[in-house]
Amino acid sequence: MPNTEHLRRSRFRASFADPDRLLFAVKHLRAAGHTVLDTYSPFPVHGMDEALGVRPSRLPRACLAFAALGLTLAFGFQIWSSAVDYPLRMGGKPLIALPAFIPVAFELTVLLAGLGVVASFFAVARMWPRLHVSDLHPGANDDRFILAAELAMDTQFSAVAADLDALGAVEMSLLVEDRLVKGASFWDRPAGAGALILACLPAFLLVASVPLFNRDFQKRNLAWDGGMGAPVSAQAFDASAVLRGGLVLQAPPPGTLSRSGAAPLAFAPGKTEAERAGRELINPYQPTQARFNRGKAMFERVCATCHGREGDNNGSVVVNRGAFAPTVLVSPLVRDMPDGRLFHIATYGGPMKMKGYGDLLSREDRWLVVLYIRELQKAAARPTSAPAVTPLPGGVQP
Amino acid sequence: MAHDADVLTGAALSGNPEQYGHNLPLIDGNKSYSQVTAEVFAPTERRPPALWWIAIAITFSMLSLGAWAVFQTLTRGIGTWGLNRTVGWAFDITNFVFWVGIGHAGTLISAILFLFRQRWRTSINRAAEAMTLFAVMCAGTFPIIHMGRPWLAFWATPYPNSRGPLWVNFKSPLLWDVMAISTYFIISLTFWYIGLIPDLATQRDRAKTKLKRTVLSIFSLGWNGSNRTWSRYETVYMLLAGLSTPLVVSVHTIVSMDFATSVIPGWHATIFPPYFVAGAVFSGFAMVLTLMIIARKVMNLEEYITTRHLEAMTKVVLATGMIVGLAYATEFFTAWYSGNPYERYVFLNRALGPFAWAYWMMVGCNVLSPQFFWFRKVRTTPWMIFILSIFVNIGMWFERFVIIVTSLHRDYLPSSWAMYRPTFIEVAIFIGSFGLFFTLFLIFTRVLPMIAASEVKGVLKNAEH
Repeated sequence: MPNTEHLRRSRFRASFADPDRLLFAVKHLRAAGHTVLDTYSPFPVHGMDEALGVRPSRLPRACLAFAALGLTLAFGFQIWSSAVDYPLRMGGKPLIALPAFIPVAFELTVLLAGLGVVASFFAVARMWPRLHVSDLHPGANDDRFILAAELAMDTQFSAVAADLDALGAVEMSLLVEDRLVKGASFWDRPAGAGALILACLPAFLLVASVPLFNRDFQKRNLAWDGGMGAPVSAQAFDASAVLRGGLVLQAPPPGTLSRSGAAPLAFAPGKTEAERAGRELINPYQPTQARFNRGKAMFERVCATCHGREGDNNGSVVVNRGAFAPTVLVSPLVRDMPDGRLFHIATYGGPMKMKGYGDLLSREDRWLVVLYIRELQKAAARPTSAPAVTPLPGGVQP
Repeated sequence: MAHDADVLTGAALSGNPEQYGHNLPLIDGNKSYSQVTAEVFAPTERRPPALWWIAIAITFSMLSLGAWAVFQTLTRGIGTWGLNRTVGWAFDITNFVFWVGIGHAGTLISAILFLFRQRWRTSINRAAEAMTLFAVMCAGTFPIIHMGRPWLAFWATPYPNSRGPLWVNFKSPLLWDVMAISTYFIISLTFWYIGLIPDLATQRDRAKTKLKRTVLSIFSLGWNGSNRTWSRYETVYMLLAGLSTPLVVSVHTIVSMDFATSVIPGWHATIFPPYFVAGAVFSGFAMVLTLMIIARKVMNLEEYITTRHLEAMTKVVLATGMIVGLAYATEFFTAWYSGNPYERYVFLNRALGPFAWAYWMMVGCNVLSPQFFWFRKVRTTPWMIFILSIFVNIGMWFERFVIIVTSLHRDYLPSSWAMYRPTFIEVAIFIGSFGLFFTLFLIFTRVLPMIAASEVKGVLKNAEH
């Protein structure tokens, strides 16, 4: 019976214009045996917790617990990812470099502690988005200081009203409908903070275990985009809006030397230089079967289109098209030219018709082509009954 | 002279107190609680004045220019910037450090001054925290743009991926930076929001339209001013202040480690963390002063943000300015004392080399200009403070420019020395960041209460509590 008695006690509220009057009224009402349920004010009234008998909040413990969780997770994850899951030595540092892990550990500690204590606060104080606010006095967020209380046993409201009036209440009323009372929250019980952490723990464990379960070494995981596998790189022959000339491929600056080729030739284009080359250059390659084959292949790939396979303009494309007649390679004119001059012409082109092939054929290939032309000339000088090209020309070691 | 205890409690001296400094009331005009409510929320409840529209037109144009420049950067590549192989960090990281530094004042005012019971913070903390958030947003854009492929910015976070998983390098200061800046932003946002909740409830109660009321109801989380909630609220606020205090120090410390952990002469210095933190507080307070002097004038809040507030902030600027000046001198001493020819050269090059103009601009703005704050007349005259705060802002930008560019442009190998010159695109992005900052701030002043009404009400009668 005494347990249910208090439920029937009437409740009332009174509002004040000043926090000090409210504080005094709360102390007075409590001393007079009334139960002050809560007060409502636009800013925290200092000393009200003591006056109301509200115990200090236990939220600091939740904060500490979240901080510890953050610290543990941060150090644990950094050690696991840097030393266990993907051990990669960087900068000569040990895999478990604790000093280097401190900044991130600190940040995560603060982050989890801050977000955790705010989440706990919202849960404990039952704060969440709601369109209808209970227990809302119109002046509570403006300039009124309100108390809600239960009458003491055997007391009439009229007696209290006179008291409140003397205490400076601006407004007071007996509450018909009880909306100001809240039962003790689940979170207000001693186990509240611990239960909250326990409630959050599965979520944290789940997040922490994602990397453990999300591993499949057999197949490539889902990539979020092309990433490194599909770089946005310029192709050599693409147009470019940025580079000079509108092309990705840029001409090397004048005087550029090839890193892989031989040193540059000491001869310029032109007929006089060609004659000088004839005097000064000798073919550095002695004929062998391999060089013969290479020279033949190069000649037939590059030279034969115009000069004919035998060097006699037979089958020449330009002759067939009626353009012009290339110089006949097996003619006495060419036969009498020195090797160096043929090499110069192969490199820079002839005085009239031929283009240079220094850009298409390597230096060695050009010398081998010269060797092959000499073999063609030898073959052409023989009687027509002889085979056009001897399989093993003179000077070739069997 | 006042006693220390009066500084802490804000109490007036008995007898005949000098009407100066902390003996002045925190809020002028002998206001009632409802008057505070009406005046603080008035800007959010009326149409913006013409001046506001002009201001936002200008700042939004700046923002658009920056957006265009970012678009150019992203579509044409980082080649649109003036960086070269020697100076690989310049305008972008300068701007990043500049904005992060500015972002320090808000949390410092909210957290550290709260813990020190500096009650004058109540008038400015809301706006300063908002400024922090906007400054950190501006700061964050720069490293992300500099990535060249900002849509891959999430690679900087440790997430399970298809590359191993190849985790981020937790030993890299750049990663610490990612963690520090993002944590700082999240915690600052949380702190700011927690501080806003009571005022959002007041705004909700005053809302005239249904839409406004609904939105504010969602964000005010059913706040009804209950003492039990207030009690927990104050606990949480105190805890967040306690957490933010080391956080605010850690952020610029870690930013400085981006430089200090490298071996570049001029960067590789143990003085960097405290030097950067002091510089951040210095620049942050200067920016708060710049903004507040404009805002109090434009929004008629002179009775809330009084010269007492301005004066307290100028003292912080003076103190941190001298710390920064000492750091400049210490750097030179350390370079000489190290006996390292590269180190010595970098500092001689700073003061006498091709970027000497930037160096002396920095010294003039950061070391000399705050010295005017020794005079009470300067400390209490808003237009003088405004001019000096602009100088400090310029000087602190040049400090970062000097540290970054002069150290990089001539390092060990003379054959790789180079000069740096920003392109129009880079300057446009910098202008755009100011556009973003001021646009957000202008919107903030019309949408949310710029002054923490619930906190100001608490200090209206400061002698009694």
